[in-house]
Amino acid sequence: MRYVRILLIHFEDAIAERARNLVWFLIALINPLMLLLFWRGAILEKPEAYGQWNIPSIVSYYLLLIIAGAFLQVHIEEKIAYTDIQQGSLSNYLTKPFSYLLWNFFIELPYRVLQGSFGVIVFLIFFVLFGNIVSIASDPLILVLASVVIILGYLLSFFFKMILGISALWTTDFSGLVNLVEVVTLVFGGFIMPIHLYPVILQRISFALPFASMFYFPIIAISGKLVVVELFQVIAVQCIWLVSLGSIYQLAWRRGVRLFTAIGQ
Amino acid sequence: MTISVSHLKKYYQVHKKEPGFMGSIKSLVSRKYESVKAVDDISFDIAAGELVGFIGPNGAGKTTTLKCLSGLLWPTQGSVSVLGYTPFERKTAFLKQIALVMGQKNQLWWDLPAAETFLLNKEIYEIADDEYKKTRNELVDLLEVEHLLKIQVRKLSLGERMKMELIAALIHSPKVLFLDEPTIGLDVVMQKKMRDFIQEYNELKKSTILLTSHYMEDVRQLARRVIIIDHGKILYDGKLDQLVKKFAKHKVLSVVLETYVPPDKLKEVGELVEYNFPRAVIRVPRNASNVAAAQLLQKFPVDDLNIEEPDIEDIIRDVFTLSSKH
Repeated sequence: MRYVRILLIHFEDAIAERARNLVWFLIALINPLMLLLFWRGAILEKPEAYGQWNIPSIVSYYLLLIIAGAFLQVHIEEKIAYTDIQQGSLSNYLTKPFSYLLWNFFIELPYRVLQGSFGVIVFLIFFVLFGNIVSIASDPLILVLASVVIILGYLLSFFFKMILGISALWTTDFSGLVNLVEVVTLVFGGFIMPIHLYPVILQRISFALPFASMFYFPIIAISGKLVVVELFQVIAVQCIWLVSLGSIYQLAWRRGVRLFTAIGQ
Repeated sequence: MTISVSHLKKYYQVHKKEPGFMGSIKSLVSRKYESVKAVDDISFDIAAGELVGFIGPNGAGKTTTLKCLSGLLWPTQGSVSVLGYTPFERKTAFLKQIALVMGQKNQLWWDLPAAETFLLNKEIYEIADDEYKKTRNELVDLLEVEHLLKIQVRKLSLGERMKMELIAALIHSPKVLFLDEPTIGLDVVMQKKMRDFIQEYNELKKSTILLTSHYMEDVRQLARRVIIIDHGKILYDGKLDQLVKKFAKHKVLSVVLETYVPPDKLKEVGELVEYNFPRAVIRVPRNASNVAAAQLLQKFPVDDLNIEEPDIEDIIRDVFTLSSKH
């Protein structure tokens, strides 16, 4: 109950910043909508060139991408790097008897849920208006497994951004690293187009990195493009990444926190 | 002892870059580092319930010491014990018994009323409902902020915010309180209120308090014992009144004259610090103050004369000046 109460208090803060949340969501909304228009045109012109990807699946993909961008794309790294580490606010957390990791989890989750819910509203609007071209998985087992993939995707995204954030304990120019990661995530997370439409070599690279497990697989899992066996395979890969990123975080935190100088005071 | 510090050292490696474009190119190839001694071999003990003032100019090492004591920094060398714990291990039991308040940092949520932060801290510190209500009401009454509890933090004045910061920091009734510049930026009235509160809290709760401040008035009112630090070393550790006896080499003769006396004549008695007829302030060697006073009374038309100790701020300034010469 203690954690629930802590989470609810953080929800209050996210709700208090609802206007800012809406603006951030609009940023996550525009890009997929533009890409959706582009791909709709491309598929209508040459339907046979894109294999399994037809109008309903590509529309569903980009609508789910809006939700994934808003819900699964954790944005805690800049707060950690600039406010906590560079400006010294980490002192507030370090002198309290509560895990910094958990604290950030509770800070970030309400923002993701709030912005993700805006994405769900957009999806539902499309569903009501154009029901025939929007679809998600309907099999209960697939939906349950897809939910596990989504939760694991969120945790991966969270751990990855925590590691990125605390890397500011070693780096002086953090913004360069953030921009690089942004580009890599866009390409290998499936934000530009479905990874299965990439050339084979790029597909292999994408599936060897964790970004597909954070964003791409949750999207195609809920859209019903993966069968049960494939879903279990995805979950297994996600678990391996989760253990790896969790271990890297623990190691980096233990070493990095010794470098913290609590500057800014 | 509640706090025990032995031969504490904290050194930082600082990158040194030569100015200009070539300096930037050079630093890409080979970087030069310099070791800065923020705290250099200091030792002291603080007993339970003591309120100690930590004084020093900017960069003296007082905040670094406070950070080492609160577990934020790992010392380069030496040992630190607070309530029997090693602070930088940051054990939950230790963190539940301390609080660090930094005048320039805040923990309150900007967009929510301060009461929400109090509630969050209640959960973080796992405070029972009854205890939380009792402590919160006590602190709210002491600081007279009942009417501010439901107002967004962003709409509070700096002084009001600082009061709320204190409540948030004290809601778990810490045994040891580290206050880093708690009155910085506040107006004189609010500074006085904060000092009164800290004093009252110390007497009421018997908490051990270590306070750093640039304002001598904070230290003068609150701390019987002061630790003066400069260049990472302790220059003085003892009672405030003893500091005067130890370091004040002069006394001040404050004179009110009946008729005008040329400044040159007054300079014969000692160093004329201020002269604005009929008032004059003359600094004389401490051991010659009686002779100088007698000389003044005999030679000049004196209406009133007082022999005073120099201002504590002047003494501390002298201590720092002396230390920078060595």
